[in-house]
Amino acid sequence: MTSENLFEEPGLKQITVWARGVYENKEARDVVVALTEAAALEGKHVQAWENYVDLPDRIYVPVRAYGKISDQVIESRYVYENEVPDIVVLTEETLVKGIDILAGIKPGGVLVINTKRSAEYLLKFIKKDTLNLSRIVTVDANSLAKSIITLSGAEGATDASGIGKGMGAALAAAVVKATGIVEFDSLLKIVANKSAAKKAYDQAVVYDYVKTLTKVI
Amino acid sequence: MTVPYEKIPFAGTVPSPQKENEGMITGNWRTRRPILDAEKCTSCQLCWISCPDSSINLGDETSSLTFNLKYCKGCGICNEVCPVGAISLVPELDFED
Repeated sequence: MTSENLFEEPGLKQITVWARGVYENKEARDVVVALTEAAALEGKHVQAWENYVDLPDRIYVPVRAYGKISDQVIESRYVYENEVPDIVVLTEETLVKGIDILAGIKPGGVLVINTKRSAEYLLKFIKKDTLNLSRIVTVDANSLAKSIITLSGAEGATDASGIGKGMGAALAAAVVKATGIVEFDSLLKIVANKSAAKKAYDQAVVYDYVKTLTKVI
Repeated sequence: MTVPYEKIPFAGTVPSPQKENEGMITGNWRTRRPILDAEKCTSCQLCWISCPDSSINLGDETSSLTFNLKYCKGCGICNEVCPVGAISLVPELDFED
């Protein structure tokens, strides 16, 4: 990336979801699709897509799905990777280890992790860019819903299994709780697994992060 | 140029790679780490044959086998094939290294 930000757009929020190949592919896609569809209901300009560079169909390989939500027309709509994300979501806790998940994160960024462990413990594994974080959210989405393993919806095909059928709905709800990027009611209109989304909205633990963690909700 | 058929190398026999490709290091794919219980291990070598990433180094008379965690993807095949249950899979985040 050049030092000059060619696509500086004040109203634009970038969402990057990290997942494990094949068995969480759909969940990663569902998080961004549910959030962007909900934002579209509110009249925002949106985009959601998957990373084409990652090796998509190998079990356990780290893969990414992206979303953009903006008040204005998205000028950078042909930029096919989120270089400066505002929100980073991990569908699986081990992704904190050995991967630069926070690469390029903007100051004030939010990290959402699907985990049973504490945020303090997971922070020890993240080596870079943690000072740009403003909030860390943990939610045990696996206890609320399963990961749906399907190729339906992959590579632009129609998703017959339904948006937010699995634990992706819970993670999207945790994102909404921490950031308020869309109204929770709009999200509930989109996701198929409404009970998981509601429970995750209640159970997600939100920490403020200013060099140290403070539990707020 | 003509090469007599006896001189043509047998197909598929290539030397094993000597260089590492940094983009192909697969250790960070792992969510569960294989742990060996050396007491139970009978050195049958089934795990060594089955490992798709050749990430198991056989020990000798004095040492037990080890896992190459730089490349082990945590697929769990070694755990499945072990006839005496000597290999267990432990969540990767239980280890701080």
